[in-house]
Amino acid sequence: MPERKVADTRDVISVRGLKKSFGDNKVLNGIDFDLFEGEKVVVLGPSGSGKSTFLRCINRLEEPTSGTISFEDTVIDDKNIQEMRQKIGMVFQHFNLINNLTVMENLTLAPVKLRKFSQDAAEEKARKLLRHIGLTSKADAYPASLSGGQKQRVAIIRALMMEPEVLLFDEPTSALDPESIGDVLSLIHEVVDKGMTTMIVTHEMNFAREIASRIVFIDNGKIVEEGTPTQFFSHPKTPRVKEFLDKVL
Amino acid sequence: MGDFFPKLAELFTTPEYIDALLHGFLLTLEISFFAVVIGFLLGLIIALIETGKSKWLAPLRFVCHIYVTIIRGTPMALQLFIMFFVIFAIRDFPQVVTAILAFAFNSAAYSSEIIRGGILSVDAGQTEAGLALGLSPLTVFHKIVFPQAIKNIIPALGNEVITVFKETAIVSMVGMYDLNMAAKDIGSGQNMASYVVPMFTAALFYLAVVYLITFVIKRVEKRMRRSDARA
Repeated sequence: MPERKVADTRDVISVRGLKKSFGDNKVLNGIDFDLFEGEKVVVLGPSGSGKSTFLRCINRLEEPTSGTISFEDTVIDDKNIQEMRQKIGMVFQHFNLINNLTVMENLTLAPVKLRKFSQDAAEEKARKLLRHIGLTSKADAYPASLSGGQKQRVAIIRALMMEPEVLLFDEPTSALDPESIGDVLSLIHEVVDKGMTTMIVTHEMNFAREIASRIVFIDNGKIVEEGTPTQFFSHPKTPRVKEFLDKVL
Repeated sequence: MGDFFPKLAELFTTPEYIDALLHGFLLTLEISFFAVVIGFLLGLIIALIETGKSKWLAPLRFVCHIYVTIIRGTPMALQLFIMFFVIFAIRDFPQVVTAILAFAFNSAAYSSEIIRGGILSVDAGQTEAGLALGLSPLTVFHKIVFPQAIKNIIPALGNEVITVFKETAIVSMVGMYDLNMAAKDIGSGQNMASYVVPMFTAALFYLAVVYLITFVIKRVEKRMRRSDARA
């Protein structure tokens, strides 16, 4: 399946023969996939197709049933997973800010605990990022006092605090009201434009078309088709994708 | 009841009676305090085993399940008797230690269920967020899950503390001189020959402590709810 061979481009994440079942329910049925440095891959597919599970297997929030996932040629396993997760950031559908910590503590907990920054350096970096997203005044607020859009923007900069090499977005706008979606999408846009290697699972077709360097379509736990946004949206190769696009566009 | 006030005066002017009451009260506090603390710690360990995901915990989980079933399925008074007359039927073994352990073992079973419920009440997304940042499962538990779990179970834990505190009154059944026993002793024929005043006095002591516990729990709860308040 990895038909792209880009010279001098580093393979950041490679997935081989990934299968995942929950009991008798086979969610992923053998996925081979490579994410190259600087790529912005958008994962599309009908609901229940396994998109989110695929993403969650990469940082092992779901343990694969079989197959391997490597980060820069190191196979990710139970022993090195903590170290790997520090390099693979994740943004969740439901934001998952830590409820018992203030915004500032949410941003600094991991980088300080994992000795990436000193407390002072982490707070300075956090303040800079908060200022950037216009939420300086919320530094000492608890997540309960933020709107959905604010929570998600804090969650994005929380992931950035660890200076990850890859950022995974799991339906980052699906739980937001229409008004907040724009704010969150433009922040993601900005992060991606700075060259962050990214994988995004989303239902926002226009956003996908705009931001993706490659689109991967998953159905029944398999990659059915992949290509550039133009190829994918204008000249889909498979009947399954044609059918999908007819419904959603 | 006509001699209520004279008896009340007698109780609080006879040094032996005051001494006996205070002695009993201190023993009640001592047993309760240590039983609650040890019970909570044991309960926490049991809850961690029961909510743990690791495969090698399975046999321990089974043991915990049996333990909780037995403790919750038998009367506290019987457990106290078994501790005194079977397990710790050792000459010169300090009675107070036996009593503390009996109540601690009992409280652990109830506390473990409370704590387990608290841990399960914390949204899985909270754990995932911590793990996804690269934090260790231990840090995630300590900094994220446990504080939220405790906040959710403070009222139930408060209930458990109150229950243990009052339940310790049954140590008088094995002859220990706690507050309950002191009241009975003072009121007996050799002493005041009237139960009314000493027993109502003991009741007030119990009530005052329960009221104090309730007050403290409310304060703690309020402080912990800070993160819920909209800023």
